[in-house]
Amino acid sequence: MTTQDPESGDSRRDQVIAGEYVLGVLSADDRRKVEARMVLDRAFAAMVKHWQSNLSTFDESYEPLAPSPQVFTAIERRIFADQSSVAGGGLWNSLAFWRILTLASIGGFITFATFASGILEPVSEKKRALVAELAGEGSAAINLMAQYDAATGALTVTPVAARQAQAKSLEVWLIEGDNPAKSLGVLPQTGEGEIVIAPELRAKVGEGVTLAVSVEPFGGSPTGRATGPVVAAGKTRLP
Amino acid sequence: MASDDISTLIGRVALRDRAAFSALYRQSSPKLFAICVRILKDRAEAEEALQEIYVKIWQRAGRYAAGETNPMSWLSAIARNHAIDQLRARKPVANTIDEAYDLADSAPDPEKSAVNAAEGRKIDKCMGELEPDRADAVRKAYVEGLSYQELAGLFGVPLNTMRTWLRRSLLKLRECMER
Repeated sequence: MTTQDPESGDSRRDQVIAGEYVLGVLSADDRRKVEARMVLDRAFAAMVKHWQSNLSTFDESYEPLAPSPQVFTAIERRIFADQSSVAGGGLWNSLAFWRILTLASIGGFITFATFASGILEPVSEKKRALVAELAGEGSAAINLMAQYDAATGALTVTPVAARQAQAKSLEVWLIEGDNPAKSLGVLPQTGEGEIVIAPELRAKVGEGVTLAVSVEPFGGSPTGRATGPVVAAGKTRLP
Repeated sequence: MASDDISTLIGRVALRDRAAFSALYRQSSPKLFAICVRILKDRAEAEEALQEIYVKIWQRAGRYAAGETNPMSWLSAIARNHAIDQLRARKPVANTIDEAYDLADSAPDPEKSAVNAAEGRKIDKCMGELEPDRADAVRKAYVEGLSYQELAGLFGVPLNTMRTWLRRSLLKLRECMER
């Protein structure tokens, strides 16, 4: 699926694809493509939202059913264990990014998030790829899943939800401690989300560095520094 | 349970209020668990999925736009999307969106429209304008997370026929909703 201009594309077909996404009949790959397109095509994202709202009437078919009490204990353990590891650091660190990146506008605050994804398939226990969920807030909300394979230098960033105007590029930045952000590359407009990290930067991509994504003019930042809002940021970790 | 309350709880969760998260879980988890069980058809897997879903809710609460979306629908969409992703990862289905779509115009049926132009929510009215088996297929796809292949088997029609059924039904629904 290619990203189309909202006015030009086949709107009937788009409507159907948006509806199929909400119904849930699409394959995993197709679902990721739809989500990637939602990032770059606001009109298409609105179609998905409409279907979501219209079809949510069917939610009445789900008769409430209590889960076992251990489930909440497990959830709390996961969330608050994660939180204590970044508590005190999370928001302050993210405020530091803003200064480093000298941003023009910031849409809300950034949260660090960890996320065990069903999308990603971990390799062996020892050779797992690094992953980060990059979560943003505010009017330019976007959610991205980043996976880094140290062996090949491939950084895969998959947009998973967003509302963003067209004719912009998403640029990925590496922030290591207090060093200035380094551009890792511009995400393909297709939403495929994979860029290969330049060999000289690969050594820097390790556990605990921050990956951030900014909205830039088409083709990437003209200055080498982030010029548009950072829509998402998160730290790398082992899944 | 008033949607205002759920909406407020989501807002407090966005501010990292642990008590609000607990209250939100108490109020919403039976519904979200029902979604997981219905789609994944396995209680243990559904409980695992429910954990992931509430971790996502904790993370994404700040993105909930109060007033724009019904809060329970917002939570349910997170649950459904997660459960369907799990299901499609477990049992892959064919990729379709890069293929041609058979979306021939369907002739409007004014008589039927008139008969069904009753009171009630618009989506119910529009579902009533579809052939009963097609409406049933649309609903089953959504509620059970069935794939095209499973729906084709269930309704005893070829796979491509089922695709055409659902896609044309979606177009009819959209046209009806816009009237």
